[in-house]
Amino acid sequence: MTEKRQFTLALFYCQNIPESGLGERQALEEEYRSSLRLFPIPCSGRLESLHLLRALEEFADAAYVITCPEGACRYFEGNLRARKRVDVAGDYLAAIGLERERVGIVANEKGKPKSLAALTGEIMDRVASLDPSPVLNKRTGQKGDAS
Amino acid sequence: MITAEQKPIAEIRKMIEPYKRILVVGCGSCVAECAAGGEKETGMLASALRMAAKMEEKEVLIKERTLDRQCVKDFVIQLEDEIDRYDAVLSLGCGAGVQAVAEMYPELPIIPALNTVFLGETKDQGLWVENCVGCGDCMLFFFGGICPLARCSKQLLNGPCGGSMNGRCEVDADLPCAWQLIIDRLERFDALERLEKIYPPKAWSRKQGKGPRKIIREDQQRV
Amino acid sequence: MSRLKEVLTQGGFAVTAECGPPRGADPEAVINKAVLLKGKVDAVNVTDNQTAIVRMSSLAACTLLKSRGLDPVLQVVVRDRNRIALQSDILGASALGIGNVLCLSGDHQSFGNQPDAVGVFDLDSIQFLQVVKAMRDEGIILGGDALTGAPDLFIGAAANPFGDPFSFRVVRLGKKIAAGADFIQTQCIYNLERFQQWMEMARDRGFTERVYILGGVTPLKSAGMAKYMKNKVAGMDVPEPVIKRMESVPPKSQGEEGIKICVETIQRLREMPGVHGVHIMAIEWEEKVGEIVERAGLMPRPEGI
Repeated sequence: MTEKRQFTLALFYCQNIPESGLGERQALEEEYRSSLRLFPIPCSGRLESLHLLRALEEFADAAYVITCPEGACRYFEGNLRARKRVDVAGDYLAAIGLERERVGIVANEKGKPKSLAALTGEIMDRVASLDPSPVLNKRTGQKGDAS
Repeated sequence: MITAEQKPIAEIRKMIEPYKRILVVGCGSCVAECAAGGEKETGMLASALRMAAKMEEKEVLIKERTLDRQCVKDFVIQLEDEIDRYDAVLSLGCGAGVQAVAEMYPELPIIPALNTVFLGETKDQGLWVENCVGCGDCMLFFFGGICPLARCSKQLLNGPCGGSMNGRCEVDADLPCAWQLIIDRLERFDALERLEKIYPPKAWSRKQGKGPRKIIREDQQRV
Repeated sequence: MSRLKEVLTQGGFAVTAECGPPRGADPEAVINKAVLLKGKVDAVNVTDNQTAIVRMSSLAACTLLKSRGLDPVLQVVVRDRNRIALQSDILGASALGIGNVLCLSGDHQSFGNQPDAVGVFDLDSIQFLQVVKAMRDEGIILGGDALTGAPDLFIGAAANPFGDPFSFRVVRLGKKIAAGADFIQTQCIYNLERFQQWMEMARDRGFTERVYILGGVTPLKSAGMAKYMKNKVAGMDVPEPVIKRMESVPPKSQGEEGIKICVETIQRLREMPGVHGVHIMAIEWEEKVGEIVERAGLMPRPEGI
């Protein structure tokens, strides 16, 4: 009998987001358990489209990235690049018949930036309407050896 | 460099449909430069194809690997260590690379994932333009470094034609008239009189050849 | 063999017109146009798959015109044929008694109804002129092989005084003359000032002594046509005053106004030194050519040629 799998969000976030240190991260992982996997990155511009696709391939029903507000990227353009990379990942999903909305980007608010916890909550709500990914529910694995 | 674009995934999936163990092979040279077939793109395509297979509950093995170049046998042969595990190769090389792999492993179907397009330069980030047609008899000196064969829509050697207006080509207003560019460039070097000569008909046999062209260099051959 | 050549060499002011072959195999379409033009002009150009739209071949249509006693000008574009076919057609044209050829680049294939066709462009129009001249005057083809019979053709080229770069246009004219053009037909003229400037530059270089220049004219049917030509046709110069003049009369009278402008332009051309004729391109309005020639005072055409 197969265990019912939890809906899982892969969340990549810029380390410059407020209240996103190790402690806060661990607290979030406690709270959400297996429905959330967190990936801190030095700047959202370091996110590659491939990271999002691999997350969806391996374990995630949705994969999102949180960026700093527009104009506030410490490295100037990181958040703009992340936007393009999310779009590229979305194109691949659409081409194979998966919903584009399984990947997404959320820019923190200017002026009053929110904490990682607050943003996580918002994104969780946002992806709640998505069906469990048809990629992950199947019993078939790869033929031959495991990767 | 050689430029290429990825084929639509639907087209790729149709071609790989019969196969159960596919090696997706990228190339780290030209197609990496134009973001069509390098390591990243190869990874993304392989991942997407695996996801698609899972969605259809198909049992398919899809692995990826990127070679430095696919058009040189010495690199292609590196696949030797694992090629036996597969029943098809999906190549993200340019047409030259796909065929080099096919020649090395003639028993395996080698499927192209890209459409190879032209010889050109990276003019800007995300912009590649054709600027050479491989005519085999370079005349760039005479035309100030601007090739009328590649960049004039009618390949005129004694241009411009009557349709050049405001420095634009009659075929597409976004295209500069190559002859306007040539004239401007030669004016800058004070060499405009170079264009008073009538350039004779091109020897197209150096481009079209008798079948595929080749270059042989004995000084480069194995002893 | 070439009435056009006779008229020009005898010092006359030549009149030529244009005829577009049909998009079909019916010879009647060509014959009907021949009937409209007979006696009104010295020679008739037949276009070659103009705007890259498939039409009856120029060579075939020329032969039909010739059968009705007209002097055709075979237009040949380099877009569709390689050097083998081009030279072959030149021999064929001469064998069929066609006396004039106009060597052109041709509109790009992407404009027409066969956009996936390869654009041949083996030779360009200037190289083609050279080839035809060598066939006629030296009896050889490209590469030097001797012909068993040299073609006899009056060789023409097109010129656009209104294209860019303006200063280079006269250099290009010089190249066409050096390559072998006996006569030049220009793009249609609405900007007489600019045309005059170009003529001056040509005269300064002695070109008008070496080639017969015929100024091109096209009667405007409507203000809409004037605007279309200004905005959508490459290499065309239609000044605002001309558009305004067309717009200033009610639509029913615009055709007449267009013909008036055309006739006035021809009269101006007749007074310009170095201009030896007019080329009337009345596209799909061939029935007006006779009237235009008449009103411009160019009838009757010389007899006994």
